[in-house]
Amino acid sequence: MEEYDYSDVKPLPIETDLQDELCRIMYTEDYKRLMGLARALISLNELSPRALQLTAEIIDVAPAFYTIWNYRFNIVRHMMSESEDTVLYLNKELDWLDEVTLNNPKNYQIWSYRQSLLKLHPSPSFKRELPILKLMIDDDSKNYHVWSYRKWCCLFFSDFQHELAYASDLIETDIYNNSAWTHRMFYWVNAKDVISKVELADELQFIMDKIQLVPQNISPWTYLRGFQELFHDRLQWDSKVVDFATTFIGDVLSLPIGSPEDLPEIESSYALEFLAYHWGADPCTRDNAVKAYSLLAIKYDPIRKNLWHHKINNLN
Amino acid sequence: MCQATNGPSRVVTKKHRKFFERHLQLLPSSHQGHDVNRMAIIFYSISGLSIFDVNVSAKYGDHLGWMRKHYIKTVLDDTENTAISGFVGSLVMNIPHATTINLPNTLFALLSMIMLRDYEYFETILDKRSLARFVSKCQRPDRGSFVSCLDYKTNCGSSVDSDDLRFCYIAVAILYICGCRSKEDFDEYIDTEKLLGYIMSQQCYNGAFGAHNEPHSGYTSCALSTLALLSSLEKLSDKFKEDTITWLLHRQVSSHGCMKFESELNASYDQSDDGGFQGRENKFADTCYAFWCLNSLHLLTKDWKMLCQTELVTNYLLDRTQKTLTGGFSKNDEEDADLYHSCLGSAALALIEGKFNGELCIPQEIFNDFSKRCCF
Ligand SMILES: [Zn+2]
Repeated sequence: MEEYDYSDVKPLPIETDLQDELCRIMYTEDYKRLMGLARALISLNELSPRALQLTAEIIDVAPAFYTIWNYRFNIVRHMMSESEDTVLYLNKELDWLDEVTLNNPKNYQIWSYRQSLLKLHPSPSFKRELPILKLMIDDDSKNYHVWSYRKWCCLFFSDFQHELAYASDLIETDIYNNSAWTHRMFYWVNAKDVISKVELADELQFIMDKIQLVPQNISPWTYLRGFQELFHDRLQWDSKVVDFATTFIGDVLSLPIGSPEDLPEIESSYALEFLAYHWGADPCTRDNAVKAYSLLAIKYDPIRKNLWHHKINNLN
Repeated sequence: MCQATNGPSRVVTKKHRKFFERHLQLLPSSHQGHDVNRMAIIFYSISGLSIFDVNVSAKYGDHLGWMRKHYIKTVLDDTENTAISGFVGSLVMNIPHATTINLPNTLFALLSMIMLRDYEYFETILDKRSLARFVSKCQRPDRGSFVSCLDYKTNCGSSVDSDDLRFCYIAVAILYICGCRSKEDFDEYIDTEKLLGYIMSQQCYNGAFGAHNEPHSGYTSCALSTLALLSSLEKLSDKFKEDTITWLLHRQVSSHGCMKFESELNASYDQSDDGGFQGRENKFADTCYAFWCLNSLHLLTKDWKMLCQTELVTNYLLDRTQKTLTGGFSKNDEEDADLYHSCLGSAALALIEGKFNGELCIPQEIFNDFSKRCCF
């Protein structure tokens, strides 16, 4: 790390020990020194290499300081225009940001800062973003900011080609990863004008295979319903899906509704709920829906019994 | 609160008060990173104390002068010399020739001043027009959403900041506190139609709100509270409302029925979370989501208490995440209590008791008093 000289900067020291202060913080000497300098340089709007270095040090101690990101961006934009190789300069900034990202997984400013850099970049590349995305998802496979950023990249680069395979890999690792499941929906919503019937049939098979593996998993069932509604005008597969869902509920529909102990276990309450929703939409199968909701209330998902009774009321 | 009809209360009220009080006192240097958002610490503490019936205006009234110092007004360098104003989170952020006010610190400060009953401030000192103008400048003209701060030099909406439903909520809540009620009131400062369009674009396929179709209880609460403050909940279709109620109730973790099959297989499932709420599908329950989910449900249906059997979530909070030794609430049963989860855990309990204004996240009685006294 290069050493910069700040000796000519007159710091704007932070006031401490104020009267009637709430949540007084015992600042370290280092924090006071850094903030004193940063306040002075921001106030002067000095756009220089040493100011850039200082922002890195501030981000290290206070990554939530929104103005410092803004300041850093203005410095980068200014110095980029003075540098001989803009691409190289911005890539170096992205490299720096990768390191900061790894150390601050929950900070959200990082991601919008990254977006600003890519918008500034003359030749941005999705491929360059993949390693940091991978590291962050390996660390926390459901990190909302990281997933949102990945989706932003897909839209920014208009590139969705790797998304289904990527989501499949993550579902392979953890079949309960809801972020990966909703990523598939994101894919279809944004790619839906260019997809074939074969692809849709493959996707349906993918969902059914995963449900077969673990029937009691809310994510693929929710996704299945959304997927079906999204493409309801494109493919007729209602009976196939209904037959499939029925295989997870045994013969409970034909049994009398008695006490919970008399009812057998079934493999999936979500299958039963899926069927109830489907049956409820058609007056001819409404009785089945009422029975399915009653079974959910009595035995298979009793914590939501008042919801199931509410659904029955809606049907009547 | 939560006083059982017989027997002692399960809520360790005194410990909670002490917990919140501690956060308003001297904090170790490990809190330096939160210095920029110190108004958040103040808000969570004062809100927590108010929930536990501490007379905060008497106890902390002496600090109003220091609080007021965080309000910064800037005259812009334009032809009309218009002014904008708002709050910084900490005086460290008050930098000459740089605009550093932001929306979250502004809302946290305003709500704290309301709880401290500094009505004189609202009636005579706070410049509501310039404050609303600051909010207005945070709106993105292209999307209708809000960023949280302005470029420190140009005073245009920051191009480095993110925009999302949280900041939309905060923007609208600030305007509401400034007296905006009707659509015309809001339209004076922001493009309400465009904002509504943005909120509607964040609806997810199977109900609830989130970015790019991944529903999230926190964003759902922000979206619904915003719509409520804009008197626009009826913009949502009946199907979407029903789907959202269903989605929210599914966030209540259960150890019964088929759900117990998950205990061996799902790494993010714990049977002992029974009754608590999670933020998204297949995640552990977490104290704060009890508030986000309950607040959302309460905005959508008058039957919310019956639908989610509030005694179950009360048990989850009191038996699993309440810290009986230190006071406060933790995120889950493993971690120590933290301020954010302590405030929201307490808020969830107060909401169940009908004593809490969920849209503004302060006790209802305090808001009623404020509305009575300060009608602008
Ligand atoms: Zn939480």
